[in-house]
Amino acid sequence: MTGLIYKDIVVLKKQLGYYMIFLVFYAAMAVMGMGAGIFGAMISLVGLVLPMSSIAYDEQARWDKFAVSTPAGRAGVVGAKYLFTLAVVGGMTAVVVALMGALRLAGLLKESVAELALTALACAGAVLFMNSFTLPLLLKYGAEKSRSISMGLFVIIFGGAFLGGMVLKSWGSLPAPPIWLLRALPGLLVLLVAGAFGASYCIARGIYEKKEL
Amino acid sequence: MKYALEIERLCKDYGSFRLEDVSFAVPGGTIMGLIGENGAGKSTTIKCILNLIRRDGGSIRVLGMDNREDERAVKEQVGVVLDESTFHDTLKAPEVGKILRRLYRSWDGVVFERYLDKFELPRKKTVKEFSKGMKTKLSIAAALSARPRLLILDEATSGLDPVVRDEILDEFLAFIQDEDHAILISSHITSDLEKAADYVTYLHKGRVAVQGAKDELLETHGRLVCGRADLERVDPALLVGRRVGQFGCEALVKDRRAFAQLYPELTVDPASLEDIMVFTVKGDAQ
Repeated sequence: MTGLIYKDIVVLKKQLGYYMIFLVFYAAMAVMGMGAGIFGAMISLVGLVLPMSSIAYDEQARWDKFAVSTPAGRAGVVGAKYLFTLAVVGGMTAVVVALMGALRLAGLLKESVAELALTALACAGAVLFMNSFTLPLLLKYGAEKSRSISMGLFVIIFGGAFLGGMVLKSWGSLPAPPIWLLRALPGLLVLLVAGAFGASYCIARGIYEKKEL
Repeated sequence: MKYALEIERLCKDYGSFRLEDVSFAVPGGTIMGLIGENGAGKSTTIKCILNLIRRDGGSIRVLGMDNREDERAVKEQVGVVLDESTFHDTLKAPEVGKILRRLYRSWDGVVFERYLDKFELPRKKTVKEFSKGMKTKLSIAAALSARPRLLILDEATSGLDPVVRDEILDEFLAFIQDEDHAILISSHITSDLEKAADYVTYLHKGRVAVQGAKDELLETHGRLVCGRADLERVDPALLVGRRVGQFGCEALVKDRRAFAQLYPELTVDPASLEDIMVFTVKGDAQ
């Protein structure tokens, strides 16, 4: 399975390089006053696009048939995609946190280091949650078909969140949530993301086991 | 006899196409050629062996193991070359080696390097810059460097020039010098299989049409060239298929010796695998 993850890294290294250039550009924008939130967008972008690109490139090269013919088999192919996604999101979050920390220490960002790290971690969690939906779709339908399904999914999730916010606003001020809930919220969110990612992996394994290549 | 591959009553139903009761075995130290027209079921059979598709019936044993229950152990010992290059365009040959050494426990980097030299594959060029022949050579180098006991090739030699094909066939012949090794190769280029295969299985419309040791098949089958009047008096049961033209007729004879005894005045030439394939299709159409 490590061979399959290594393959993704080698195939996508050029693309990863481009994102690093983007990151420098984003850093410049953050320093110029756009705020550190822009880094979060970078984690989401890379975390969503790279797994999708890796599956698209595999299809283009007909690699999936070959990969399943190796000792890695179907389980290895699915496991490698999930680990690659975790590695991309984790790696990108680490780079972004390190970069934001350096900019903060240099006095170029106003937010505290804890605040910056929390932003990055929240974005990493959000993108892993989204990948929990997109990865099984990508493995079932391929990159081309699932792109439109994913787009629809994002419109539903973000559109729903936006509309929900509007509705809540129109109701006026809501009662503050209990303190225990606020305290438990980060842990609950981590559990939600981990649970969704784990369940997604099990679903993807089931889907790919039945897929005819 | 030890078999590298044993397939029994393999079935796969696609609705519009059915692979039905396909059975054959590949003994160690031999090459089995799987021939047949496009869409005859060659790739479907290979996909079933590699578990790329689910079979609907039958059994497949690779090196004595069930191909599904012992999938990982089976795939550790099987080298695969599929009909098209399966390596990403942006990869270079040494990168392919680095990927595959992490996938196969028995990967031999020295052997891979040796094959890159032998096949004159450039290390600095990407797969995209390779010709079709070079891509196939890279796939074969990769398959052989995994130190497999069974090599499975799906139309690996089609689209290659005769020089490259010959070079590759020599590699296959060298590979099976070890009695523990065997090759299953599907192709519709029958001349390649005539050169290299020990056994032949001819698939036609999803079924085994002809099967046996290649030399025996070529020995028993014959090509009858005669006039229309001569052909009309021949017992049709002795013929597989016929081609009637304006200036003469041709037919494939099932048993050359028996035919010569019955019709000593008619000349029967040796048949090629291509004749066996073409006349079987013609016989089927009649």
